[in-house]
Amino acid sequence: MIHAWTALLSAAFVVAACWGAGVVLVNWCGAKLNRLESAPLQFLTGACVLHLAIFAVMALKIAYKPVWLILIASAIAAGVSKNRKRAGVLAPKHWTFVLFSAIFLGYAVLFLVNAWVPETSADGSGYHLEIVSDYLRAHGFVQIATNMYSGLGQGIELLYAPAVAFGGFSAAALVHFAFLIALAWAIFAFGARIAKPWAGAVAALLVFLSPIVARDGASAYIDVATAAVVFAVFYWLEIWDGARDDRLLAPIGLLAGYAYAAKFTVAVIAIYALAFIAFRARRIRPLILAAACAALVIAPWMLKDWIYFHNPVAPFADEIFPNPYVHVVVEQQWTEWLRHYDLPKFQRLPGQVTLRGDYTQGIIGPAFLLAPLALLTLRRAWGWRVLLPGFVMLAVYFSNIGTRFLIPCLPFFALGIALAIENRWLLTILAVAHAVLSSPWAIPRYASKYVWRIETFPYRGALRITPEQTYLRENIFDYPVLRMINETIPPGERVFATGDLGWTAYSSREIIDHFRCAFGNTLWDIMNTGWAEVTQPSRLLVLHFPETEAAQIRVVETAQAPQGQQWSVAELRFFDRGAEIARRPEWRLRAWPNPFEVQLAFDNSQATRWRTWQTAAPGMFLETDFGRAEKIDEVHLETSPDLAWPIKLRVEKFDRGQWIAQTGHFEERPNAVRNGIRRAASYELLRRGVHYVVVGDKDFGASDYDDDPGAWGLEEVARVPRATLFRILP
Amino acid sequence: MRVAAVIFLLSLCACRDVPDYPLPQQSPSFENFRTHAVRVVDLAQGGADQHIVRDIIGGSSLPWRWTLQRPAVKVRIGFNTSLNYLIDFTIAAATFKTTGPVTIAFTVNDHVLDRVRYTSPGPKHFEKPVPREWIQPHQDAIAGAEIDKVWVSKDDGAHLGFILSRIGLVER
Repeated sequence: MIHAWTALLSAAFVVAACWGAGVVLVNWCGAKLNRLESAPLQFLTGACVLHLAIFAVMALKIAYKPVWLILIASAIAAGVSKNRKRAGVLAPKHWTFVLFSAIFLGYAVLFLVNAWVPETSADGSGYHLEIVSDYLRAHGFVQIATNMYSGLGQGIELLYAPAVAFGGFSAAALVHFAFLIALAWAIFAFGARIAKPWAGAVAALLVFLSPIVARDGASAYIDVATAAVVFAVFYWLEIWDGARDDRLLAPIGLLAGYAYAAKFTVAVIAIYALAFIAFRARRIRPLILAAACAALVIAPWMLKDWIYFHNPVAPFADEIFPNPYVHVVVEQQWTEWLRHYDLPKFQRLPGQVTLRGDYTQGIIGPAFLLAPLALLTLRRAWGWRVLLPGFVMLAVYFSNIGTRFLIPCLPFFALGIALAIENRWLLTILAVAHAVLSSPWAIPRYASKYVWRIETFPYRGALRITPEQTYLRENIFDYPVLRMINETIPPGERVFATGDLGWTAYSSREIIDHFRCAFGNTLWDIMNTGWAEVTQPSRLLVLHFPETEAAQIRVVETAQAPQGQQWSVAELRFFDRGAEIARRPEWRLRAWPNPFEVQLAFDNSQATRWRTWQTAAPGMFLETDFGRAEKIDEVHLETSPDLAWPIKLRVEKFDRGQWIAQTGHFEERPNAVRNGIRRAASYELLRRGVHYVVVGDKDFGASDYDDDPGAWGLEEVARVPRATLFRILP
Repeated sequence: MRVAAVIFLLSLCACRDVPDYPLPQQSPSFENFRTHAVRVVDLAQGGADQHIVRDIIGGSSLPWRWTLQRPAVKVRIGFNTSLNYLIDFTIAAATFKTTGPVTIAFTVNDHVLDRVRYTSPGPKHFEKPVPREWIQPHQDAIAGAEIDKVWVSKDDGAHLGFILSRIGLVER
């Protein structure tokens, strides 16, 4: 049970530190906040300040417990010493507010308990906390080249770091839960600020009780926190617009930058904020001040990505910023999938995100089917101001149509709906109906049975009456596999997973996933080549031309491949009069694109291949500098049947400062795939320092590994239901 | 215009020379590494003869083999012991003329899984679940068959059973 309380206390201290940092900043900028709005705005603004401090701690690699204690204690002490009582009432005295408060408190307890249990969410314990754990183990930032998600902004995750250091993973979810409370509170406060307290209260309940918001906010995700940051930007803009004090531009700029640090796509709120300031101030100075504050937060994250991924916006834009960590085609296919989620018809999207949720992984609730009503508010003064940022957030939603990516829009649309209805009785009916429809018992009656939602009241898990290990085993599908890895593989070793392995934050060994990094993609390609004939180099493309003498030669691809189709070469060899030109250490190799893996076409292994890892296009090439003139009349490219498009190749030699095409003819022959290709594949993993492979029973090639591990040079070292762990024999 | 300038500057940042790399260490050959064991022996595949235990006439490049009376192959079982016995074979019209209807017993590790009487020549397929207790995970297993009547050549006394295409154990 001690774990339960350390988790709660750790989260509480981090939340208090955010508030403390916020108090200092809010006092400095002289904001006149009322009693209702001060706490959520101080917390959200302070979260940005504290995250900057944590960034510095991580960058300095001093992330040790005493440092966290000093940082958190200082922030809390500063907040307590600077805090002053503010004027205003928390809520009007009316029976509807008693009802709203009762609904809010009842659900808050339910959500708190769900946040408090050992963390089992897919992405939370899949990568958000895996990255946090890696940083904590390294006592600071460290390159995680095997996880492209580590290139994403971690503005929220950094707040989880001190909480996790003391309280474990569920402390992170509890910190996120605090953002959920702050968001609802801020929406209510905004309603009160514009003299529409009933609208504010109902809008807050619409967001707070929304099934996806609740589930996400009670997990170690970041979406609700991101939405809270976005709403805080909007809120500060309104305060600034009323006061026109330039000091208020600091929280606006910082929070706008923090939105980028939290999630790249919501950085559009920074553009909105700057446009709003420019439009309202009609002066350049406020714009520059706000932009400078935003840059103060954004720049460190870009710099971090530049250093670790050679790409300031990793893991995106890899075609513009080529790097060895993320393959372009993987990024393209991933982002393409995020735009449709296998949804059969786009017209089904509104129904999906509000009612069903099976494709888009969650529902915002049927109440949001009333969102078109919000347009009625456009007739009023507040209409545009409330809805415009919502539309801005909605525009970027279509880059990822998962339901939780709608969360940043919801505060604005909820306020729009509530302001449009305005009638207190109707609002009360809407709030009660939404509360009923969002209950864990009602959701399965209209939504998909498996939709991601809060399902139970797991107080035994939260209080650790059910032991943590038992709870994790019962709620994490891959937990036995992760335990097997932790218990079998020596520290410092890493393991390649041939399939999808989730909840990897619970692994203390590095798991190289086949999807999340270029290295993993290549390992997967190598292992698949061991058993899948379609990727084995059974084709030989031969280019003949009159004998010529050249010191540098290259093979250029000249045809446009269909979208997603690549050019691949297992081995590239040069011949003269039937004899292969011996490879010499003086050779220098170049390729475009994917220059980083050019050696795979020259390593004498049929199990490896250089691939473009992006759609093949005219001008792509493989080049060899022999270091001296060589006579040559034939080029052989070993390739595979999965190169199933009409490729066109041209040989060029470099002569007197230019590339000159060699005319000749082309033929294709069968190529013998050598015996032992399976062992050749596992050997390539050994060469790269990977000594273990974990194979799920349903993974590609699972039966081939399992039928005869010996032919792969694999030794079974452990087995749990659904997966086998192999060691690669030296 | 300003946006274009920013994009241009950013693309300049992105531009770089194509790096070159030295020749990598050459991988050794694993040509003599042992052949992969299988659960189903497909006689159309190269290396199939290596799995023959008895009574299958090997050394042919055809995608099938003549059997004698008790053909059998050795296959490899993984962790999955939920398997079906599978066999694809043909009773040749030429031998059937002499032998008439035949009964074939299908066996796994010398346990008889079933006996089937065939009253006509032509291609046949048989598949049936194998009791788990007959096989052990990560062990070899012997999948076989036994025909009750073989064709005997009047010229040289050679025996022929049936024409085998595929035999082994598949996942259920």
